[in-house]
Amino acid sequence: MQQPVKTLERATAAPDKSGVMRGLSSKIRVPVGSEVYNRVVETLYDEAASLDERRFDDWVAMLSQDLVYTAPLRLTRTGPNRDRDVVRTTSHFDDTYASILQRTGRLTKSAWAEDPPSRTRRFVTNIRVGEREAAGEYEVVSYLLVKRSRGENPHTEEVSAERRDVWREVQGEYKLARREIIVDQSTILMSNFAIFF
Amino acid sequence: MLQKSTLTLRDGTSIDDLIDVDMHEVSLRTMSDPELYHHEMERIFAKTWLLLGHETEIPKSGDFIVRDMGEDQVIVARDREGAIHVSLNVCPHRGMKVCTGEAGNTQVHRCIYHGWAFRPNGDFIGAPIEREQMHGAMRPKEELGLKKARVQLYGGMIFATWNIEGPSFDEFLGDFKFYLDQLFCRTDGGLELLGPPQRYTIPANWKTASEQSACDGFHTLTLHRSLMEGGIMGATADTIYDMAPGMYGVDVSCHEGHSLRCIPAATTFKMFSDISFDGKTTEERLRLLPPPGITQDLIPQLMKNLSPEQVEMLATTPPQVGGLFPNSSIIFIFAPRMDGGASGALALHTYNPKGPDAFEFVNYIFAERDAPEDVKRDMLQNAIQQTGTSGVIEQDDADTWPAISRNAHGAVGKTITLKYQALTGDRKPEGWAGGGFVYDGFTKDDTQWNWWLNYRRLMASGL
Repeated sequence: MQQPVKTLERATAAPDKSGVMRGLSSKIRVPVGSEVYNRVVETLYDEAASLDERRFDDWVAMLSQDLVYTAPLRLTRTGPNRDRDVVRTTSHFDDTYASILQRTGRLTKSAWAEDPPSRTRRFVTNIRVGEREAAGEYEVVSYLLVKRSRGENPHTEEVSAERRDVWREVQGEYKLARREIIVDQSTILMSNFAIFF
Repeated sequence: MLQKSTLTLRDGTSIDDLIDVDMHEVSLRTMSDPELYHHEMERIFAKTWLLLGHETEIPKSGDFIVRDMGEDQVIVARDREGAIHVSLNVCPHRGMKVCTGEAGNTQVHRCIYHGWAFRPNGDFIGAPIEREQMHGAMRPKEELGLKKARVQLYGGMIFATWNIEGPSFDEFLGDFKFYLDQLFCRTDGGLELLGPPQRYTIPANWKTASEQSACDGFHTLTLHRSLMEGGIMGATADTIYDMAPGMYGVDVSCHEGHSLRCIPAATTFKMFSDISFDGKTTEERLRLLPPPGITQDLIPQLMKNLSPEQVEMLATTPPQVGGLFPNSSIIFIFAPRMDGGASGALALHTYNPKGPDAFEFVNYIFAERDAPEDVKRDMLQNAIQQTGTSGVIEQDDADTWPAISRNAHGAVGKTITLKYQALTGDRKPEGWAGGGFVYDGFTKDDTQWNWWLNYRRLMASGL
């Protein structure tokens, strides 16, 4: 799988000319309805429930310690570069297992952005699974719609995104090793990313 | 012609009713009023200098980015000679957007509606079907270019204003160049933007964030309590108000409404508290604790590019946070990590108005161009984790500002006044080399009040 590695040569503000890198890159599909596919789907549903129910310890238990968790920017472009709209220099999230632990730890203390907490609902669909070269590793692409209600505010914030994940089978369970959240908005219509995607 | 000398809203409320100069109070109504907002667009955003981006975003001839000046969208483009131009992104033919993307490269900006075409400098090239002269015969081509703003580069940052005959950029900076040079003009290579800015929408009036950026140090202790709980600041959850980490320093501001907090690192962060500067030379101090974003290798460049007085300030009380009037915020912080790393986080924000109850938060993240790549990478990650969209510091601000704007809708709530009555008073430490208003001691409301005074001056003058 072509991983969205941040190369330092592209540590510049000029938009890069690299391939767009979206969707599933694995050529070996795990068919819908197969045992592995079903278990991956179950894992994604369980993960969404743990985040919606704010069971962060349960969520962290699903993360691999080599986790790379990112959310690229989208940049509206035209002409020959019109489809190269995923920017991986700066990003909205640029996290590791350790920094995720700091985020979830903060949420148990005085994190006013989530105290009172948002009421969230994560809808996970269009799940496609492929095998990776490493045994027991799966590339998982899904669509995500997050609805977020804050306080008594009548307006529900919303983010739609494509997630490009790597899940690794460890002792009969899947652990999240990579996640790239490709949000659909270039200007995010949410006042912060104090929630996870 | 009648010169507007003050501002009175349709219901008879004047700017002096909204901003009580004697009491240092501002009506909460200012944080949402639609009529006031329209005046702000004309009297502030169409008049003063605005930060639009960084020249490293458009390194090559023909490169362009699209940015906002108030609610006016502009094209920021580099021409063949390397000069940067700012032009209104509105086709003078029928008002269509000329650039429909956010960034790109072209020598010909062609409107997709009827095909009128413009150079990166905004000049009109022509309309299709030249033999029919589709731009008509009434105006020469020289009059049919995009409307051009006045541009100034400073430390690689691109500023522009519609006020062609107005104050120069130096006048706009006032006494602040001495301080800002320490952040933006201190190395041979200058700053490099590490990628396009994060952009997100906050459902709040632009001034909620902007007046806070005028050095509201005090909110850090309470709103950003989680920073203290995280164990990196010089206090624990139990001692936040006793220790008040980061509160003592020197706040500076000026007539033009800009401000900075110059804060000694040792009193702010636990990990620096053992560092003793006693009897050390300026260079030794810099070596012990380089200012945010500066590596050991870059220290000699500070001496080369800055005056001894500026270097001395960077070594002892580096400017760390503050704001540029009207809508920019400066975050050049040590931002030590839990794991002990401290390469810093350098960010600039602009708060672009999108109506009385919304603004776009634009977050630019920098490093010194000549810093090692691994340091740049670390600083980028650090800045993303601390500031902007998902930043653990600014998440909490983003949830506070909208509540203030919503409160300003209430028939009673809007009559409440914001208080700026905790004052340090203009007090320079001995030997302080910088100009402007200088507030030595605990951070109070002086600088934010200066922000409002400049707001009032621009709104009342109509100039």
